[in-house]
Amino acid sequence: MKKSNSSSAEQLNTNANEDSRGHLQVADKKPRYKKKRMKSQKFREAATGYFFLAPALILLGIFLLYPMGAAFYYSFTDFYILTPNDVSFIGFENFSYILSDAEFRQAFWNTVYFAVIVVPVQLAVALGLALLINKKIRFRVFFRTAFFSPVVMSLVVVSILWTFMYNPNEGLINELLGLFGIPAQPFLNSPDQAMNSIIVMSVWQGAGFQMMIFLAGLQNIPTHLYEAADIDGASKWQKFLNVTLPGLRNIALFIFITITIAAFKLLVQPMIMTQGGPLGTTKSLVYHIYETGFNYRDVGYASAMAVVFTVIVLAVTIIQRMLTREEGGV
Amino acid sequence: MNKLSIFLFGFILLFLAACSSNSEGTSGNSSEDGSTEDEDTVETGEVETNVEATGDEDVVLDFWIHQTGEDETNAYIERIDAFNEEHEDIFVEAEVIIDDGASAYSDSINAALVAGNLPDVMAIDGPYVSSFADAGVIRPIDEYIDEETKNQYVDSIIQQGTYQDKLYSLGAMEASVMLYYNKDIFEEEGIEAAESLDEAWTWDELMENAKTLTTEDRYGLNLFMNEGVGEWLTFMGAPFTWSNGGSLVSENGMEVDGHLNSPETIESLNYVKSLFEEGVVSESPSQTQFEEGDAAMALGGPWISVSAEEAELNWGMMPYPYKDEKVSPSGSMAYAITENTEHPEEATELMKWMTNEESAITVSEATGMPPAQKSAFDSMEKYDELPYSIMKEQVLETAHARPSTPAYPVVTDAYAQAFHAAALGEDVEAVIDQQINRVEREMKRFKE
Repeated sequence: MKKSNSSSAEQLNTNANEDSRGHLQVADKKPRYKKKRMKSQKFREAATGYFFLAPALILLGIFLLYPMGAAFYYSFTDFYILTPNDVSFIGFENFSYILSDAEFRQAFWNTVYFAVIVVPVQLAVALGLALLINKKIRFRVFFRTAFFSPVVMSLVVVSILWTFMYNPNEGLINELLGLFGIPAQPFLNSPDQAMNSIIVMSVWQGAGFQMMIFLAGLQNIPTHLYEAADIDGASKWQKFLNVTLPGLRNIALFIFITITIAAFKLLVQPMIMTQGGPLGTTKSLVYHIYETGFNYRDVGYASAMAVVFTVIVLAVTIIQRMLTREEGGV
Repeated sequence: MNKLSIFLFGFILLFLAACSSNSEGTSGNSSEDGSTEDEDTVETGEVETNVEATGDEDVVLDFWIHQTGEDETNAYIERIDAFNEEHEDIFVEAEVIIDDGASAYSDSINAALVAGNLPDVMAIDGPYVSSFADAGVIRPIDEYIDEETKNQYVDSIIQQGTYQDKLYSLGAMEASVMLYYNKDIFEEEGIEAAESLDEAWTWDELMENAKTLTTEDRYGLNLFMNEGVGEWLTFMGAPFTWSNGGSLVSENGMEVDGHLNSPETIESLNYVKSLFEEGVVSESPSQTQFEEGDAAMALGGPWISVSAEEAELNWGMMPYPYKDEKVSPSGSMAYAITENTEHPEEATELMKWMTNEESAITVSEATGMPPAQKSAFDSMEKYDELPYSIMKEQVLETAHARPSTPAYPVVTDAYAQAFHAAALGEDVEAVIDQQINRVEREMKRFKE
């Protein structure tokens, strides 16, 4: 905003300079009246800028910054929903309990497991689908729509549908497996299979969106690069490795980071499909925080976990940025 | 609130009510125009009742009711209308809030609590009375209710509404869980059903008969495990533990060690585990397994009578199976007045009205749930003979309220987790040991 302000102002008065902070300064030698007009102009433009910013700033303030600040404050208290007028400061007690909370530990590792599997798999599936529909094959539009449609559906609806499909006795998936003589699987009822079942469903639901972004990236790679490779006698695989992948690099990094953050925020699927079970094997961090705060009314402890969660996600993102930047990325 | 503001408030409400009736037709008001197609639908939010405030009432009561089904809500609205008509000086402003069986209704209460604008009277789920009472959210009503009125309620409802010797809540309906059975299958297999509480099956009889009734494409018993890990498992399952002499928490609701992990509790859950291991119960049944004849028996709530009837099943009811003591599940939605109210006496009056014999019968007829008034059983003939006589016997004789403890939300989850672990064939004792720490931490909060 500031930048566009100053550049448009500059066009009006070429004698204006920018100081280090990007603010306009008017050269001293200019007549006084000009300076005055300049100032009111600048003020007007800034006011307009803030006027347009206001709705976003107010909403962000009320629904993002204020709750974040409140959560940070509550994380040091024993806030219990039923006694909102009896909140006392308890220092780091909530944080020290996190260390001995077996459920938090389990939820943490569940979430890490989910992210470690989902991120690369979803990235690969999205790229594969994008490559597939980037070809000039028949029914391209149909495939594109089909692969993208799960993204349009509400995650809650998708979760309910897949719960039916995963039903061990009457579910569609076991019926299909039965056709091939594979015995019925327990899926969501088995501590070993529940999280993997959620992962499969999540990748299916999410990959279509990243596919679209990859597709845009693929279509941005100049054709002359492929033509040059053809002249050099490159095979299809060599073209993929040396032209396509480098061309998609920045987009892949963007997708990598957004999928990671989204994976850490896993909530809807376990909430709808398994309620965190069986035996807590699908309980994610966010779901654990939600349950603690709303079902068990322990807002203080839930806030402390939310603060820790934010720090974890922030750390993961920063590490990712550092690693990818070193290689000369975005 | 002074008179003027009450008047203004009433005026605004009237204005709003008038607006909504113009735009949306009837909402929860089916007598006005029988031809509208949405005459049965009850919208959530402020309810437009038949009787309108005149603005002269001395007392306006805000009243929150939960909605799980349309017929039920219509029954409540009918009774609120009758109350408003009967009481010149009190006007009840009802608000219907959706109750999805998970957290939608309690989220509304939590939000209002923190914001400090709870209604005068609200519906709450029975086992949550202690935590609300302990936190001082709801207030005792002993001074506004006499012994005689109190005695009209079935014991389990008074037990459910009492915390530390003070009465906080009253309910119009009870609930129970019976052993439903498919008469056709029983006849085929030559199994005889128990026809009264005295003939109730023991655990061994249940196991033996369930095995006989289980075939390649039919389960012997349905425990509605499709409900997920939640309140259902405690409501339906805890009698197994009580019947075996076990418990979830101590009498005073403040200790869990030696109760949830007692040998009796673990033994009872191991019995449940054996039902699954023998393959007589499915850990993931379809919603209508019993109604479709894919399970010969089912431990289900009163609503199964309704759905089995609709499915034209030839069904019957047996008492809850027992080991040592005969017990059965109990507890349902009830009403309580909040600390916010400036009119506790009138609010109690409303609670008594909403739970009196006439209300109990109206609600019972709309929902199929047993009434919470002893006298209501006498005037409802269906409870005199089989199958409903079983339900009556259980409510009057074996009903056992869920534990009264302010830590109930955590206690019930701990028990449900253990029950679910049993269903999955996991080590029950190990799961309970994990849960104990968690429950103890929660209980510490209330001991100070």
